[in-house]
Amino acid sequence: MKSKNLSEKILRSVKSKGFKYIDLPSVIEVNHIVQRSGENFRKFIFSFIDQNGSELCLRPDLTIASCLRYLENNLKGREKIFYSGQAYRKTLNKKNSIIRDQVGFEIIGSENEKNDDKEIINTALKSLSNLNYSKGTLKIGNIEIFNLLISKLNIPKRWKLRFSRHFWREQYFNDLLKRLETNSDVDPTIVEVDKKRYLKMLRDDHQEMVAGRSVKEILKRFDNKIKDPRRASRGKNVSKIIKEFLRIQCPINKAADKLNAFFKKNKINLIVDQKYFPTSNNKIQKLNVKFSTSFGRQLEYYTGMVFKIDIKSKSKSINVINGGRYDKLISDLGAKKKVPAVGAALNLNY
Amino acid sequence: MMNIGIPSKGRLRKDILKIFKKNKLNLISERGERDLLGSIKNLPNVKILYLHAREIVERLGDGSLDLGFSGYDLLKESEINIQKKINVVKKYNFGKAILVIAIPDPWIDVQTVADLEEIAFEFKDKKKKKLRVATKYPNLTREFLFSKGVTQFKIVGSLGATEAYPFTGSSEIITDITSTGETLRANNLRVLKDGVILKSEACMMISKSTPKSTILNKIVKLLFKN
Repeated sequence: MKSKNLSEKILRSVKSKGFKYIDLPSVIEVNHIVQRSGENFRKFIFSFIDQNGSELCLRPDLTIASCLRYLENNLKGREKIFYSGQAYRKTLNKKNSIIRDQVGFEIIGSENEKNDDKEIINTALKSLSNLNYSKGTLKIGNIEIFNLLISKLNIPKRWKLRFSRHFWREQYFNDLLKRLETNSDVDPTIVEVDKKRYLKMLRDDHQEMVAGRSVKEILKRFDNKIKDPRRASRGKNVSKIIKEFLRIQCPINKAADKLNAFFKKNKINLIVDQKYFPTSNNKIQKLNVKFSTSFGRQLEYYTGMVFKIDIKSKSKSINVINGGRYDKLISDLGAKKKVPAVGAALNLNY
Repeated sequence: MMNIGIPSKGRLRKDILKIFKKNKLNLISERGERDLLGSIKNLPNVKILYLHAREIVERLGDGSLDLGFSGYDLLKESEINIQKKINVVKKYNFGKAILVIAIPDPWIDVQTVADLEEIAFEFKDKKKKKLRVATKYPNLTREFLFSKGVTQFKIVGSLGATEAYPFTGSSEIITDITSTGETLRANNLRVLKDGVILKSEACMMISKSTPKSTILNKIVKLLFKN
């Protein structure tokens, strides 16, 4: 961890931008995490059972702890907060520490999206000015653009959902693309066999439940699936478009031009304005500012703008700040209404 | 003294005992077939322990067994710290079974794991609950489903009769070990087209903490043949 002096300087920088310091609990209920991120997250958390039988874990992430605080205290409206502390995660890479020292800052209840995105980036840049470095990169991406592109593609709805859901899992996403390019996803021989069953089930009681699903639900989905098969030839073309999109990288001031040229070439009815991006300056402080369409895959909960700052110090490239917008995290954790939020964390272990 | 673990019951026990017999290693149990301890004739420094197949893996992991026979599925399901301490020296041609994902047969719209992934999201988004998967193999199941894109599910631990779970309201789908698929079919379940999690067979395993000895080498060599 960096010196106490440095982390105090960073905290002062964040505070000077009007953020309020909060304390976060070190231990949270596992249920919240499993409910949101699914079972596999268990692999990364340090969990234990308390005397009442509740499963608890050391906070694997400060953002989740902070969103839970907002939710559990029934807070409303816009709140600018910051915090510092440790997050604890198991890691398969021996080089990574299981204890991560972080300073985080967030705007929760962020309704004015573009302004707040800018504010978070500016706060990140201000805290960065406390560090010694020769040069670096601020990389900006946007998951919303990816989702808009997917919504315009000529593939069945189930495939659109798949791509949107799995954008953040690069390896599985590539598997999906391969599958889209090659075989069809509806096996004709099985469909024939099941069609007989389908006709029989049509005569059954449609309200009857089979392991949590009604016969009506099953028949409806079967019907949709066979009426909307995906053809391999069309899949190849769509896969090509997605791959081409994910290769777009450029200085930030060219982002809109590049994207619009891509949309035009592929006859996709979308236009992006350069004002959509939090900045159009290619150089801020000692950082080169770049746009990348494939960036933003490190965390499942990002929904819009994403960014990271890597710096060069003693000829090593170090990732120091990561951030982005997560408009669905708080509702995924249990809020009845959508609470949009944007934030970033500065990593102190390098 | 060397300790060897053999499954205490079932088909696996019978098949393992056969290879001992075939290779002229005579097993002796003073109190008959139900005796949980035994020895090998003319090998006074070897003790035989008859244990549950799952326990054989555990005991190899903590070094209280030197050599043991169990299923590959049970080894792969065990905790990583146990797996790290065990070497598989031989996979046999018996005890063959596969760990599969099985769904209720009337779910005719679900053929592949990709379909299941969609159903899991439907459970989360529309029904506001998690798709429950009953299994005796939580670790392998979790790994497999996640690798295939199914992230929204909840594991329900089962100790037996897992096939009944989807029809008693305890889970929606299951994963279980099967050799012919007959029990699954009889219980109105169907294996997904790409739903094979692991192929398993009987294995001879040694604990990495076992010191090398001539007697161990001799026994491993003899039992290496099917």
